[in-house]
Amino acid sequence: MIHLDDNLMLTDDGAVMCAHCQTRLGENSHEPLAHAVRRERPSRDAGPGVHADPKTFTTREIVLRQLFCPGCSTVLATEIVPRDEPSFRHWSLGAKA
Amino acid sequence: MPLIHVAGSEKFVFEERASDELCAIASKFVPLHTVDAAAELAIDPLTYEVIRHRLSAITDDMGDALKRMSGSVVVTDCNDFNAAIADEAGDLILVGQYNMQLAASLDMAIKWTLEHRSENPGLRPGDMFFCNDPWIGGGLHQNDASVFAPLFYDGELFAWSGAVCHQVDLGGVSPGSWSVAGTDVFWESTPVPPVKIVENGTLRPDIEDMYLRRSRVPKLIALDLRAKLGANNVAQQRLTQLIDKYGPRVVKAVMKKMMHDAEHRLRSKLRSLPDGTWGAVAHQDGARAGDSNIYKIVLQMTKHGDKLTFDFTGTDAQVEGFVNCTFAGVRGGIMPIILTMLCNDIPWAPGGIYRCVEIISERGTINNCTFPAGIGKASVASAWATQNAVSECVAQMVGTHPQHRKAAMSCCQGTWDLALLAGVDQRGAPFVTMLCDPMAGGLGARVDQDGVDTGGQMPIPMGRIADVEINEFSFPMLYLWRREEMDSGGPGRYRGGLGGSSCFVPHDSPLHGVHLVVSAPGKALPLAPGLAGGYPSATSYDVLMRGTNVQQMLAQGFIPGDLDEIDGRHEVLPSHVETNMAANDVYFTHWQGGGGYGDPLRRDPHEVALDVASFRVSPRAASDVYGVMLKTDGTPDAGATEARRRDLRRDRIGAGAA
Repeated sequence: MIHLDDNLMLTDDGAVMCAHCQTRLGENSHEPLAHAVRRERPSRDAGPGVHADPKTFTTREIVLRQLFCPGCSTVLATEIVPRDEPSFRHWSLGAKA
Repeated sequence: MPLIHVAGSEKFVFEERASDELCAIASKFVPLHTVDAAAELAIDPLTYEVIRHRLSAITDDMGDALKRMSGSVVVTDCNDFNAAIADEAGDLILVGQYNMQLAASLDMAIKWTLEHRSENPGLRPGDMFFCNDPWIGGGLHQNDASVFAPLFYDGELFAWSGAVCHQVDLGGVSPGSWSVAGTDVFWESTPVPPVKIVENGTLRPDIEDMYLRRSRVPKLIALDLRAKLGANNVAQQRLTQLIDKYGPRVVKAVMKKMMHDAEHRLRSKLRSLPDGTWGAVAHQDGARAGDSNIYKIVLQMTKHGDKLTFDFTGTDAQVEGFVNCTFAGVRGGIMPIILTMLCNDIPWAPGGIYRCVEIISERGTINNCTFPAGIGKASVASAWATQNAVSECVAQMVGTHPQHRKAAMSCCQGTWDLALLAGVDQRGAPFVTMLCDPMAGGLGARVDQDGVDTGGQMPIPMGRIADVEINEFSFPMLYLWRREEMDSGGPGRYRGGLGGSSCFVPHDSPLHGVHLVVSAPGKALPLAPGLAGGYPSATSYDVLMRGTNVQQMLAQGFIPGDLDEIDGRHEVLPSHVETNMAANDVYFTHWQGGGGYGDPLRRDPHEVALDVASFRVSPRAASDVYGVMLKTDGTPDAGATEARRRDLRRDRIGAGAA
């Protein structure tokens, strides 16, 4: 068992599990968060730290994109990005260079 | 005018060559001192440590010399400079603990000089070279002007010393050389490839004149030039004394061993980490004034065995604007993160560390641009964004290791919020300066603790801000406040360090105002992401209030502590703008903090209560982001907090889940 971060564990059989509720989030470390719940909201939902409406500065829509554990709702990943972009924040273990 | 390739510009590009190959080229024209592997093996541990630390002390001495001689607050008070020592092939033996972005490219300039200047004009004792061409190296944008010098001993080129610091103005359309309306490099300070500025120990006045002629503040630039010459003189004297004492073979063997040790120890650490691939993206909103697009740098970092590969495939093409960076910026974005996050217990010898790293980057992209793309803001634009992406990937990798994870840190201050002031100072002299207050950025949260509030920046361990009084003494400005800003640190189980803000008015200039250049992305979206679900830091936020009543307030003995207390026209500034400030105008600049770590709903409610009590977190954020409800006495209400967190968790995966 390897702790990957505050929320994720890699089990001995190669699955990725929630460290808080043991929900299986991915069956292997190449698609570690396949079962996570993904949600997008307006970026200002991230809280008062987002000072101004992004429309003031850009024509592109900016969203708060998050992944959650379906078992305990713990947030596993957070990013604020243009909505028309895919997420580039992915990882896998054991990849060959 | 679109970016059109300039024929012949290919000459002024750093080409990676093996050190042996480079030495073979240079040794046709200049004798090089080197040692064989046996010399390294013969070094006893005690001698090794004594000489290694002496070399480190020499870079410290170089930094001291720079600070004592420079007249620029950017250097004397904010430490935006660095110094380095390289071996005969230009491989960096060590860099100082100042701005590591700057020193991470000195080797490029030295190696280019070895290849292209060894024959003509030649390398001789007493020579020094000047360079501010980021396509060649020595700095990340033209304002990073470097001076480096070959050290000869017994007639052989033994090593190199180098110093580089940010110059406050080297010409170009806009003051400070930050041409926010620029579309290519011809709007900016002219890059100068390596030229021999000191010959046989004498500063060449023709070269110096050519250099200073472009600046709005030539006397200040001349002083900084002498500071860099002085720093190199200090290095040359100290290194010569060291070689006199221990002999060239021993000192050189130590230099080689330092790089080998750093390489071997980093490879060993990498082997202890799991193989894998980590992806990240770093954005910038706006490439120039009036541009509302958003640009991305994409990174896929792969660790396999004892090697790291940074692959930037997918990064946006270079853009008309001033935010591109050259390959020096890619290196400048990588090396500081490797040094601070992976080499916290390994000697900082980049020449060895680079051997563990492969960089895949397509020319013509925003962080590996070709001439004549604009690069005036490269250091704190695409190079900085590169660093954000690298920081995110390296932290995630390090975070998987039971011991090394403590070195992992969420992204620090996602961008530099530039405010450049120019005009006539209170003594009637022309001035230009970059306000370095954002040097007090928020550090990212760690795996077991909050980020340090206004703790600085990852690439500049010794970075600092000038006292408010030093800025007011040096420049025609009066602060209303400088402080840490509530809610600027990224929420998380561990909160990102707070960023800060400064608010000031022009003061005592005979022109009754100042010229202002603002360049700060991160307004449409925050640029310091969190880790493990942690939220990013706050966005940048700059406001210019026009025609205010601030002078009347000050005359009545009242210093406003918030923009809401000031009457006037409120302008939220875009990412890039150039304008004038009149005597009654107020400028507020709010730079970013660090990213958070972990789920904010898992933060200890008592920590949130303390944050609210100390104005680090607002009551609104406590409730909406952390789910912590406070009693009237400021302590957590356990029952209400549990209910609030339950509601927030339900909201997370309820309606709208995809």
